[in-house]
Amino acid sequence: MAVTKVVMPKLSDAMESGKIIKWLKKEGDRIQGGDILAEVETDKADVEMEAFGAGVLRKILVPAGSSAPIGTLIGVIAEPGEDITALVTSVPAGAGGAAGSGAQKTPLRPEPAAPPAPAGTASAVPSAPRQAVTAAAASQAPASRPALVGAQASVGAGIGSGQGTPGAGVASAPTTVAGSASAGAPSAPSSGRLKASPLAKKIAAQTGVDLRLIQGSGPGGRIIRRDVEGAGASAAPAAATAVAGAEFEDVPLSQMRAVIARRMPLSKAPVPHFYVSSEVAMDRAWELREQLNALEGQPKISVNDFVIRACALALLKHPGVNASLQGDAIRVYHRAHIGIAVALDDGLITPVLRDCHTKPLAQIAVESRDLAERARNRKLRAPELSGATFSISNLGMFDVAEFSAIINPPEGAILAVGSVRRVPVVDDAGLGVGRRMMLTISCDHRVMDGAMGARFLQDVKRLLEEPLRLLV
Amino acid sequence: MATHKFDVVVVGTGPGGYVAAIRCAQLGLSVATVEDDRPGGVCLNWGCIPTKALLRNAEVVNLLSHAADFGIRVSGFEASYAEAVQRSRRVADRMAKGVEFLFRKNKITLFPGRGTLKAKNVVDVKGTGGVETLEARAVILATGSEPKSLPGVTIDEKAVISSNGAVRGEAAPRSIAVIGAGAVGVEFADVYASYGVQVTLLEALPRVVPVEDEDVSKELARTFARRGITVKTGVKVAAVKPGGPGVVVDLGGEQLEVERVLMAVGRAAKVAGLGLEVAGVQLDRGFVKVSPQMETSAKGIYAIGDMAGAPLLAHKAMAEGVVAAEAIAGKSPRPVDYANVPSCTYCRPQIASIGSTEARAREKGREVSVGRFPFTASGKAVALGETEGFVKVVADKATGEILGVHIIGPEATEIIHEFALGRTLEATLEEIVHTIHAHPTLSEAALEATLAALGQAIHI
Repeated sequence: MAVTKVVMPKLSDAMESGKIIKWLKKEGDRIQGGDILAEVETDKADVEMEAFGAGVLRKILVPAGSSAPIGTLIGVIAEPGEDITALVTSVPAGAGGAAGSGAQKTPLRPEPAAPPAPAGTASAVPSAPRQAVTAAAASQAPASRPALVGAQASVGAGIGSGQGTPGAGVASAPTTVAGSASAGAPSAPSSGRLKASPLAKKIAAQTGVDLRLIQGSGPGGRIIRRDVEGAGASAAPAAATAVAGAEFEDVPLSQMRAVIARRMPLSKAPVPHFYVSSEVAMDRAWELREQLNALEGQPKISVNDFVIRACALALLKHPGVNASLQGDAIRVYHRAHIGIAVALDDGLITPVLRDCHTKPLAQIAVESRDLAERARNRKLRAPELSGATFSISNLGMFDVAEFSAIINPPEGAILAVGSVRRVPVVDDAGLGVGRRMMLTISCDHRVMDGAMGARFLQDVKRLLEEPLRLLV
Repeated sequence: MATHKFDVVVVGTGPGGYVAAIRCAQLGLSVATVEDDRPGGVCLNWGCIPTKALLRNAEVVNLLSHAADFGIRVSGFEASYAEAVQRSRRVADRMAKGVEFLFRKNKITLFPGRGTLKAKNVVDVKGTGGVETLEARAVILATGSEPKSLPGVTIDEKAVISSNGAVRGEAAPRSIAVIGAGAVGVEFADVYASYGVQVTLLEALPRVVPVEDEDVSKELARTFARRGITVKTGVKVAAVKPGGPGVVVDLGGEQLEVERVLMAVGRAAKVAGLGLEVAGVQLDRGFVKVSPQMETSAKGIYAIGDMAGAPLLAHKAMAEGVVAAEAIAGKSPRPVDYANVPSCTYCRPQIASIGSTEARAREKGREVSVGRFPFTASGKAVALGETEGFVKVVADKATGEILGVHIIGPEATEIIHEFALGRTLEATLEEIVHTIHAHPTLSEAALEATLAALGQAIHI
């Protein structure tokens, strides 16, 4: 009955192609939804690829050791009697077509290559040129897509770019809500039909949501009710105002902000960084940490866990820092998903600790250690590699006094953490020895200004210097 | 005393436990099960299955009593209640043997005896031959539930019986008071009444089958009254004392004298003596607290079925068993969708429902459209001579989302699945309507009620 196309999944935000390390199933094996089909090496990590359909693995089209762009057909699952010749023979053209074109990033029905994006759009999102192309495709061809409602079409390229890119904030949002293992699977393969439940289709029609811009969390990436409801707030043009409990809000750019956003990249491409540093007195935090770690049966807490917790609390208070440029809007996140940079022998990976603002220190300690360990063992799951709203890079263990980090787009800021050093300090009692740590935040100037970053940093400093605040 | 090592130990072999065990075995795990009764638990031995056998007897008796309606004159037939109970025992035995067969087939080891947690991954089994110690990577608790009583009333299984005594007792009383008009209460009321027992059904809440839609309660009360069952709702049982022909039920003013009382006021999780404290398994209002993957507060210990909380239904336990097994095997199973568990009661007429009642949907602020179709207008129902009841569909007015379906009538428990599947796939009223329903069937009533919700019913 059903033929399931196995396509190279998008397993991280930045992934463009993946290499099959090995197939864990061979042709002729019976497959159930959720079975691990293969291990895939992406630019960031080795990730297990799950099956989204049941049947027999009839054909493997991309052998182990070879790479394929995302969306490429790499295998076919079908019942033994099923005729799959048409599918299998159509591959070379399909794969080649998808490889070079920006249109493959749209979850469905690739449009012909889009004309060059308008200059304004291009400079608005220089950090993500392929997003701009996608956006242009979406805005150039509304007439040929009857399902695209008028309101959606008029929103324009900027918003479209955010939603049209599966790896960007919006697309990963439903996945986050669902917490499901289906992340990374486009809701429809580039040539397939739209998979959505009847109820999802009706709600989408009534709320003006374009289903093609949504990633499904149902079986096989099917779009179900909660996916549409999750997208409703952001996709509707009126949703520029805050929705209670929503994960983020899109604040329209002011004239000035639009100008800043256009001009800043010209001075420093692609993301105009600025840096704010502050020295933090860590004496009390150090003492508190020693007390906590002396407690029997409690997880060991690191300095970085203190920093994560402090940032999470400060991000809630300063949502302007927990923000991302999305074309002609700034997306302000209401939840603190913090990327934690983990150094690997041959590079760097930033797994995401979600909802840090809701987690007590002990939980942050346990989860961040688990993430770091699995990052080093290359055992991270796909959803853990995307969706950060802010990042922390800590080089304290390398006895680094201070440094500045590069922002991880589309995030708006990253905090660089130095080591806690024993230094001479002068206070009211005279000369003494104190513990000090340097924090440097790199901020995207298109999203925020110096004072905003400074106020945020001031709060992080205060939380760390009065560390009991981290416990309440 | 010997120690045995397994991947998984399942304590309790009711519908939750045996399904979990089999699914674990399918996933390549070595499995032991522990059971202090016969395999199959309450469901197969003392609950669902034997009562369905008794209810089938009741149905046959009723059919014979109304044979004249079909132009068949049956004179002097004799319905033996003892033989009805014996038949139900044979049915239960056969099903229990089926579970034993499935265990053998899946190479699952059964340890007869009482299981107790000694540590997070150690279960001691106290059987007739001494104590065996089982060590496992993961433990699934599935010990089920047992009947509750009212404060101050002891169930002696003689004058005051629970469902356990009711399925075993081969002598029907002349009169019985059934306390509690939930599923268990109304099913036994039906069985006893069919065998000529004088039945009084007592319910503290204002209506029978109080968790069902109000229209369903009304319809059931009406048909029960017609069959001579006395229904008293909104009554408080103040005391149950020996006296009269057997028992006197004090209703706070009125005294009800009956030969026997059936206590059907609900069930409580069987958690005592399991060693939950040792392992650090926490409870919440008497039931074991579990995650969506069925793991308890103690890592590696899972709990499923009645002991893990409402609804106390065998099919919910089975679904949870599969989730627990797959979670242990390292898959990430889709959690049980508790909003989409069908509920079935097998009295006559049968009752089946899924989703929200009309009242509940309105409370939640939904603007609803309601469609109803009575079985009197169904050709198949009229031909069967089973025209009591209706299908009622509650839908969201704007989207046609199926919020709830409530059926009372012939084979209601079979008809409901169309809507269960529909809700799983997020079908709306339109998809049900666009599905051609065979004629003549009872399921046409489902189609017509759906049409009625759209204001398009043809046959009414």
